Amino acid sequence: MKEKLITEGDQFLAKWLDGTISDTRLKDLVSEEDFIAYKKIKNGLDVLEELERPVAPSFIIVNDKIDQNRKDKKSHQIFKWGLSIAASILVIFGLFFAFNSQERSYKTSYAEQKTFSLPDGSEVVLNAKSTINFTEKDWEAHRNIKLIGEAFFKVRKGSTFTVQTSNGQVTVLGTQFNIKDAEAFFEVVCYEGKVSVTNNKKEYILNPGNSIRKINGNDSEKYDSEKLFPSWVKGESSFVSVPLKYVILELEKQYNLEIDAIKIDDSIIFTGSFSNKDLKLALTSVFKTMNIKYMKEENGILRLE
Amino acid sequence: MIKELNNICNQKVFERLFNTHAKDLRRFLFFKTRDLDLAEDILQDSFIKLWDNCNNVNPAKAKSFLFTVAKNMFFNYKKHEKVVIEHQRRSVKSSNNETPEYLLVEKEFLVKIEEAISDLPEKQKEVFLLSRIEKKKYKEIAEILGISVKAVEKRMHLALIKMKEKIGNV
Repeated sequence: MKEKLITEGDQFLAKWLDGTISDTRLKDLVSEEDFIAYKKIKNGLDVLEELERPVAPSFIIVNDKIDQNRKDKKSHQIFKWGLSIAASILVIFGLFFAFNSQERSYKTSYAEQKTFSLPDGSEVVLNAKSTINFTEKDWEAHRNIKLIGEAFFKVRKGSTFTVQTSNGQVTVLGTQFNIKDAEAFFEVVCYEGKVSVTNNKKEYILNPGNSIRKINGNDSEKYDSEKLFPSWVKGESSFVSVPLKYVILELEKQYNLEIDAIKIDDSIIFTGSFSNKDLKLALTSVFKTMNIKYMKEENGILRLE
Repeated sequence: MIKELNNICNQKVFERLFNTHAKDLRRFLFFKTRDLDLAEDILQDSFIKLWDNCNNVNPAKAKSFLFTVAKNMFFNYKKHEKVVIEHQRRSVKSSNNETPEYLLVEKEFLVKIEEAISDLPEKQKEVFLLSRIEKKKYKEIAEILGISVKAVEKRMHLALIKMKEKIGNV
């Protein structure tokens, strides 16, 4: 008994509260009466903490349910309307089906950016030479988006969906984030809220300011970014320790260029940015700093030396 | 414009009302239902009902609307439950589930705990809140405050003794 008291010292209640020592042990250390009192306080604390839990998650659920109700109502109305004009139902059905089952596709060409909304009201900004596909018809059931290239998502509060890329899958809950998927380069940056990234069966949770990226099949690395939105939204492409190859790829996309990099080592690491609006400036800021010469050939290809 | 700003159908107004009343309603419902999950469900449904009626309810009356709706939902649930229990009794002999201890906690007791926490000496309160509300481990608290884990545990220990003295043996 005495020995126990000495080893537990004057911290045993703290240890009991966080579960390091058991009820039975505490019974040895305090009187029966005190034990009941402490136990009651602990129970009270547990309830209090449950009741004082933040309400934000509940609000998200409430909004989701409201959205769901609205959608149900809408489809109900369509159904009723369809019944009342039975004669044209086949035609309508045909059109309806053809229209709805169609996959929605947004595509940007070189040097182009597009902003559009998803069925749930979330906003997407698509960077140059990128594609997004989703089916409007089964949006509610699947909420699946396919992305090739780079996009910035501003998600409506309470919405969830999954973005599939060739390199991994990204799931969101009320947030802002950027995905870049270019060949063997995969990067997700979370600006707000929370994002879950699944890559090679591993799941990573990103909080605001967190990023994850994977280059050439190397292990995924996590790092932090302090920006509030990706710089390309404002007409600048920026890179932090990225192999030059992917910087060149981005230049090609932003300016519809063909760049011949056969003579240079495109695995050197680049940190910096270039303008998406002024080619001359962009080429200077990338290649001058890296001591690489560039010249335009007659066939239009830009050769690097 | 005034209508817009003062209408519950305005998403901002709705969110503000949620943030103002959700915790009170949750607490109210817990002491009625004695069931945290059920309290959460009724809480959500009450706010959905408020949204459905957003054009007919004055924001100033939102609180009483919410509590009335919640109360009615709870009564309806009870009515339904009685039928279900009746049915279960007839079909299967229900197993005797022991009531979890936290269900027996009284409203007045929680108020006492809250008072006891706010009466704690500053240093103990700080540690106590970090541990119980922020859910930080003792080790994390030690790092945050720049003291030893042992010191954190001592403060927790003393805090609990203080609270027991304050609340008394009930």
